[in-house]
Amino acid sequence: MKAIAAPVRQTVDNPVARLLPIATTLLAMIISVEPAYIPGYAAVTPAFTLMAVYHWTIYRPKLLPPLALFLIGVTQDLLTGAPPGVSALVMLIVRAFVLPLRRHFIDRPFPFVWAGFTMLTGGTMLSLWTVHCLLDRVVIDFRGTVFRAVLTISVFPAASFLLGRTQRTLMSTG
Amino acid sequence: MIRPSLFRRASVQRVTFPLLVLLSATMIILGKADQVILESLRVTVADAAAPVLDVLSRPLAALADLAARARRLASVYQDNDRLVEENERLLGWQHAALKLAAQNSQLRGLLKLAPEPTATYLTARVVANSGGAYVRSLMVYAGSENGVSRGQAAITGEGLVGRVSEVGTRAARILLVTDLNSRVPVIVEGSQQRALLTGDNSERPCLRYLDTGAAIRIGDRIVTSGQGGVFPPGLPVGVVASLDGEAPRVEPYAELSRVEYLRIVEYGLADGLPKAIPIGPRGGRRAERSADGQQSRR
Repeated sequence: MKAIAAPVRQTVDNPVARLLPIATTLLAMIISVEPAYIPGYAAVTPAFTLMAVYHWTIYRPKLLPPLALFLIGVTQDLLTGAPPGVSALVMLIVRAFVLPLRRHFIDRPFPFVWAGFTMLTGGTMLSLWTVHCLLDRVVIDFRGTVFRAVLTISVFPAASFLLGRTQRTLMSTG
Repeated sequence: MIRPSLFRRASVQRVTFPLLVLLSATMIILGKADQVILESLRVTVADAAAPVLDVLSRPLAALADLAARARRLASVYQDNDRLVEENERLLGWQHAALKLAAQNSQLRGLLKLAPEPTATYLTARVVANSGGAYVRSLMVYAGSENGVSRGQAAITGEGLVGRVSEVGTRAARILLVTDLNSRVPVIVEGSQQRALLTGDNSERPCLRYLDTGAAIRIGDRIVTSGQGGVFPPGLPVGVVASLDGEAPRVEPYAELSRVEYLRIVEYGLADGLPKAIPIGPRGGRRAERSADGQQSRR
């Protein structure tokens, strides 16, 4: 099984396509805060922004600059009522972590990309839990974090497929 | 040879990343140290984003509504039988309530009891949730221009949902009773034990500061006590669901993650909280208002 989003190596000239990584990460942030009217969903909402940041840092890192990540992260925190700066910091660190490793994920089978995302999600969720425990000075129940990590990892193939499809459609026409 | 513009861009990028990381870390620390600056920023962003979030949440709400209708359709006959039976039973209760209300009114007259303040209600649509395991809050598309103010109670038909914690011109944040920072003075009906309902980000908040040896049973009703002057007394909150662990846990009556519309109660008690941060007036379309026609008496 090949990677769902095979990289398109030529430069992207289409201005609409150049905005795609920022636009989809912004959309992922909006989906994260939208009420889903499903019992218990709010606490385990998958980290959609993490999926977008991972995908675009591998395939188009230049089109998702740190400044865009910072602004999207801060907006997400301000909208959800979380301590501002936490999401921005997590997104920037994820980018810095994935960027030097990206060539190992390009042109690799999807299960390999998924395994990378699984490890990244585990690390990110653990870090988030630690930060929130320190900020609130209380040991927060870890089960919510585990459920959220599992749901995020489970939803990733669908998100990766959609992002890859959109990337191919828009960027190959550039 | 490297062009100067490319070199400059590379240098800017090298500086930008650590600068943004530092800025994020500073915001986190500043957010802990000075809540006021960040609260005004949060309220401004909420005001700007609320109309967009309102529009974007409509299709999902329509889908959820459709699914709920389909579910109800499947059980329409059983529901009808149950409701007919329940209606007969409730008619009996209605007679009893009317008789008691008349008696209560007579006794209040005899005692010359000061009348309770009148509550007014405002209905607001939920446009965003907290999307994570660490904060339990909702954003509603109604703000100070609709009459929402800090400290008001937010309820559904079933029971208490939380309280208004931040207010902008056209959006407000509701801190849910399940949030780590939520504290609601409550009373256990029947035994009249006072306690503090304390959220811990789980689905069931705990009852703290109960008297030692307090006789609490599973199924006991929990209502607001009105102590502290933030909530009116007697608002239904939930039932005692478990007695395991260090404190009894309460299952809220309201389904907190399925709420689409909330009622915000103005009881003339909102001064129990510190004053709201004044935010400058802002134009734009008004939030969904079903408030004007919904003023009612308690």
